[in-house]
Amino acid sequence: MSSAPFVVEHDWYGRGMPPNVRIGRDVYIDTAYGFAPFRSERNPGLVLGDASGAYDRATFVVGPRGSVLVGEYTCLNGTTIVADDRVTIGAHCLLAWGSVLTDIWIGPGASTAARRALLEAGAHDPGRHPGAVAPPRPVTLEDNVWLGFDSVVLPGVTVGRGAIVGCKTIVTGDVAPYDVVVGDPMRVVRRLDADDTREEREQALLECSRP
Amino acid sequence: MSSEVETQLFYPLTPGQALPGDWFPGKIPANVVAGENTVIDSSFCFKHFYAKAPVGLRVGSHVTLWRTSLAADVGAVIEIGDYCYLANASLVASERISIGSHVMIAGGVTVADSDFHPVGPAGRIADTIALSARGDRARRPRIEVRPVVIEDGVWIGWNATILKGVRVGEGAVVAPGALVNRDVPAGAHVAGNPARPVTEEAP
Repeated sequence: MSSAPFVVEHDWYGRGMPPNVRIGRDVYIDTAYGFAPFRSERNPGLVLGDASGAYDRATFVVGPRGSVLVGEYTCLNGTTIVADDRVTIGAHCLLAWGSVLTDIWIGPGASTAARRALLEAGAHDPGRHPGAVAPPRPVTLEDNVWLGFDSVVLPGVTVGRGAIVGCKTIVTGDVAPYDVVVGDPMRVVRRLDADDTREEREQALLECSRP
Repeated sequence: MSSEVETQLFYPLTPGQALPGDWFPGKIPANVVAGENTVIDSSFCFKHFYAKAPVGLRVGSHVTLWRTSLAADVGAVIEIGDYCYLANASLVASERISIGSHVMIAGGVTVADSDFHPVGPAGRIADTIALSARGDRARRPRIEVRPVVIEDGVWIGWNATILKGVRVGEGAVVAPGALVNRDVPAGAHVAGNPARPVTEEAP
């Protein structure tokens, strides 16, 4: 991991990267624009593992006590990560555009009065942070998870290794390893073979890396 | 890059002005009316704002607009009440989108009052021609437009979609990912595609 401030080359967005983002080797970042709402006071507040990528408008909405871990070779393609506590993403994950991972939300159970109070408090907060009705609950994607476009992973959820979340799925509860889930309400439509062995990975690193 | 760059996320929504330190080289349109303590992150929100009405966007007080696309056609009007919070939403208006007060709209939400193209195949052929560099936009075929109303106290979750002609009643909850193509009664909780009432509470 490098310690020098990371500069995104030819970035159209002029404000640069937050200093407490730890960026591994061979990481690709399209623009620092996605880090504008990154307010973590933790160090590191975000770790991007070796050869991971934050493509297009991948956005990190991270609160002062929040932190995010992204594993190696993981591809964040226009995903939004909201972390007031912790969001952990394993290695070799694929996250499509419009997907959301959040450890905090208002939720449908909040009363209209509770939402009113949040909006009125947030409008007088200097950073306009909308606040929350419940404490954050960490979210975890284990290794080799694929999140389809516009899927939403809600607080407290763990998605098991090798699983696939279909596009537009609302993930309200844990997903077992190698399950394929779709829809709202979410349902399991298939179980995949657990063929992502250490040997397969070693072979792929040999065959699919640049010489 | 200068170390003096602005780092604040929000600026007062001031009609006719460029925002200090805005990353996008635009201005807030002059035909905007905004109340006190209403803020926005960038003039980029108006990238697709073509409204020509004397007031094309009317926003109340204490509203936060973050990365929200205010896309308004020439004849369109967008109205937003007080104490609303819109984050990374898209309001796409051909005629009128009206949002009440104390409304929360989450990321990835689209609200649209039109289909933006004709439904019939011949009409779509005509529309592609009229929209092209060879065409005349004034001769586009008729397109169905029905205003959208979102009443006070509504909460709209991540990636939900509200389509033309819909009225979302006071205090209603639209779950993440829902596609709403018919009216939602006041106080209701809807989810799914197409959105339907939810009977049991979500966990």
